[in-house]
Amino acid sequence: MSAANRAIVAELYTWRFLKWVVAICVAIVAVFPIWWMVNVVFADPGVPVSINPRLYPTSLGSGLSKIQTILTETAYLRAYFVTIAYALLTILGMLLIGSMAAFEFALFDFPGKRILFGLVMLSLMVPTVVTIIPTYLLVADLGWLNTMQGLVVPGLASAFGLFLLVQFMRTLPREMIEAARLDGASHFKIYWYIALPLSRNAMVTLAILTFMKTWGNFAWPLIVAPKPEIYTVGQVVGLFNAPFSHQTVDVVMTANLLAVLPPLLFFLIFQRKIVEGIAMSGSKG
Amino acid sequence: MAELEIKSVSKSFGSVEVLRDINLKIASGEFVVFVGPSGCGKSTLLRTITGLEIETSGDISIDGKRVNDVDPARRGTAMVFQSYALYPHMTVAENMGFGLKMAGEPKAIIREKVSQAAAILRLEKLLDRRPAQLSGGQKQRVAIGRAIVRNPKVFLFDEPLSNLDAELRVNMRAELIDLHRRLGATMIYVTHDQVEAMTLADRIVVLNGGIVQQFGRPLDLYDDPDNRFVAGFIGSPKMNFLDAVVLETGPGHVTLGKLGGSDRSLRLAFDGFDPSIKEVVVGIRPEHARLGESGPDTVPVSVGFAEELGDVTYLHGKTPGRSPMIIRSDKGRFSGQIDCNVAFDPAGVRLFDADGRRLRADGN
Repeated sequence: MSAANRAIVAELYTWRFLKWVVAICVAIVAVFPIWWMVNVVFADPGVPVSINPRLYPTSLGSGLSKIQTILTETAYLRAYFVTIAYALLTILGMLLIGSMAAFEFALFDFPGKRILFGLVMLSLMVPTVVTIIPTYLLVADLGWLNTMQGLVVPGLASAFGLFLLVQFMRTLPREMIEAARLDGASHFKIYWYIALPLSRNAMVTLAILTFMKTWGNFAWPLIVAPKPEIYTVGQVVGLFNAPFSHQTVDVVMTANLLAVLPPLLFFLIFQRKIVEGIAMSGSKG
Repeated sequence: MAELEIKSVSKSFGSVEVLRDINLKIASGEFVVFVGPSGCGKSTLLRTITGLEIETSGDISIDGKRVNDVDPARRGTAMVFQSYALYPHMTVAENMGFGLKMAGEPKAIIREKVSQAAAILRLEKLLDRRPAQLSGGQKQRVAIGRAIVRNPKVFLFDEPLSNLDAELRVNMRAELIDLHRRLGATMIYVTHDQVEAMTLADRIVVLNGGIVQQFGRPLDLYDDPDNRFVAGFIGSPKMNFLDAVVLETGPGHVTLGKLGGSDRSLRLAFDGFDPSIKEVVVGIRPEHARLGESGPDTVPVSVGFAEELGDVTYLHGKTPGRSPMIIRSDKGRFSGQIDCNVAFDPAGVRLFDADGRRLRADGN
């Protein structure tokens, strides 16, 4: 190997090494708060971490007992079920409505299609804080405050979901839709038997992104479901974190950890799909 | 089997007229090929027949019944697409049986019909596979199987072999001819490949610019084209066209001069030549042009290169007027550039007017 080549190889290795250093630093910044949370939860009782800082958990039993306490002695478990129902119903509804609308927008022509789609896409530019009060008033008028439909229904018509599914369905070959039409499939059957199964990847991506967003949604449940019976995990964690909460920091951290766990597991399981989804839509939802 | 009649069908997309006054009558059991260059309207005509496009005017009848307002699925047509259009999430059997499932047929009947079609196309062992696990030829057979299962009155093929490699295409052509013989069905086939059209068709429809240029048996189109477009489109290598001027007309003959920009003339037997025509285009196929001695009835050609294909040799040259000229010469071996004289077989000469219309002698 010539001296010039050796210099190029050395430069490549140095560049790669620097990239790794930066990546590891970013990873530490991202992971440290979660690790600190685990560290605090699984700590010996009566020994505040702030007094005796360390970077490793010391007591599994203590952490498990805190989790048990929160799940049995507070309304946390109920909030868990409410949030799961909220997330699942939102996902199902959004997929159904979004896929039907995307099917029409992506594969068929109808009068006013471009204007309508443009309007829906414009709504992506309107921040949630602008729409939250009119939506609240509408839900209140319908008598849906403190109900599951009040939580779920306003989130079903998702401009982002429609955009994602339209982008995907546009890639379905038109000939396949025509073949189904010649095979005698009705409009709905083409959607059900052809478009829907072929859009599975986009649907899974949308489901994952919707779950992450719904699970972490704080503002909407806070204003539309103020009744404790229908508190979501976000609201309950908010109570633990409230200024006058008498809970110690390790119990508050346990509540936070339990709230983080489902999206974290979701992310670990569907990591590839989430990255694909972000790449596909050019947005993180 | 069914008869198909197309009467005065036109089709426009906005201000663009894609089909103009199409009139065709296709007999029951006939294999008809629509051929023409890209954008000539052949696929649009096929899609109009099957109902995927709505005609702007005119009537389409299958077995004497007007089908303009009949849903595509109920017209009794089945289409095989260029891209196969197989459903990737279904197995071969599910793909083939999808039409019957949509028609609400019982599962046992679907299974039986799919098995029958699979047997015809030798697909029995592939029924549980998905399209991604099939080769191009197998996918094509599944697409045909899907059409067969529906037992249509008319089969429509939209450039079904264009995605296959050359060898497979030749094999599939033979399979299609065999299938047509066995099913005896009316088939309409779209292609831009005139060799494919000549091989498969009972009759060929040549389209250009949305107009039917000629409809007839393959050799009738080859030997007796109605216009310059058909003469040039049918046949490979294509017909040579040389400009000429009319020097003299007389009873039973016409004499042409300045043939291909040369100083040579050509006297042809021709009854009733219109004396008002002063300029013509002479059409001559490569096999009707032969190398000869210099003489008044020959044209000098400067040959640039020879295509020695084994069974035939084609010489590619230019006349003094720079018109391209291909001559078939099977015996000789050639190298480098040569200057030669080409004589025409008078029986193979076709005359066209300046607008490309065929000039026919009286009684022809």
